[in-house]
Amino acid sequence: MLIFIIQRLSAIALVVFLSLHMIVVHYPPGHLDFSRVLERLADPLWKAIDIAFLFAVLCHALAGTYAVLTDIERVTPLKRILAGVLIVLGIIGVAYGTYTVLSFQPPASMLAVH
Amino acid sequence: MYKSTGFVSFFLRRFTGLVLVLYLGVHMWVIGAATKGAETFNTRLELFESPVLKILEILLLAAVLYHGFDGIRLIIVHYFDVTDYRKSLFYAAFATSALLTIVGGIPLLLYALGMWS
Repeated sequence: MLIFIIQRLSAIALVVFLSLHMIVVHYPPGHLDFSRVLERLADPLWKAIDIAFLFAVLCHALAGTYAVLTDIERVTPLKRILAGVLIVLGIIGVAYGTYTVLSFQPPASMLAVH
Repeated sequence: MYKSTGFVSFFLRRFTGLVLVLYLGVHMWVIGAATKGAETFNTRLELFESPVLKILEILLLAAVLYHGFDGIRLIIVHYFDVTDYRKSLFYAAFATSALLTIVGGIPLLLYALGMWS
């Protein structure tokens, strides 16, 4: 039941976040590089949105993986171990992704100019 | 059961879901290069600039759109009393994602072929 609730709530969040992400980042298609991303992420609100997006997508992906794998008969007895592994992966994912988002800082040479 | 839209949607939902989980891993690895600085980030991003991979992105778009609209359909079926329209809703979700794949895929295709300014 908990998995179901996580799946529903993150699904609704993702409809919003992913639509926004595609429209703002990937459309119209163009060349993407560090400075382009940095431009957008200079706004702390975008950093917050991206971290929340990351959290929602990891919840959805890992809860989905859990639901699919525990449907396999041979995996069912191991579901507690599987849940533990997925939670650890989720924590690592949120930490690494947040670190990534916060890594979009102007290079030291650019800061020196100002 | 195997001929019902229920089975088709169940299979497609799980298949596209697993594909998207694998893609998420790749995506996080690529963007994660930012932790090693701008140069590493740009180099790693360029690995995905080949026309073939750009065209594969259209398949990714199809998977995302289908998975998303199928999910919206499920929420509608669950919270509103529309059991009679289950099948129509499945076709509607399928058609909407197919249409949006074409609309969103054309710019990607033109970009992959270097025909997008």
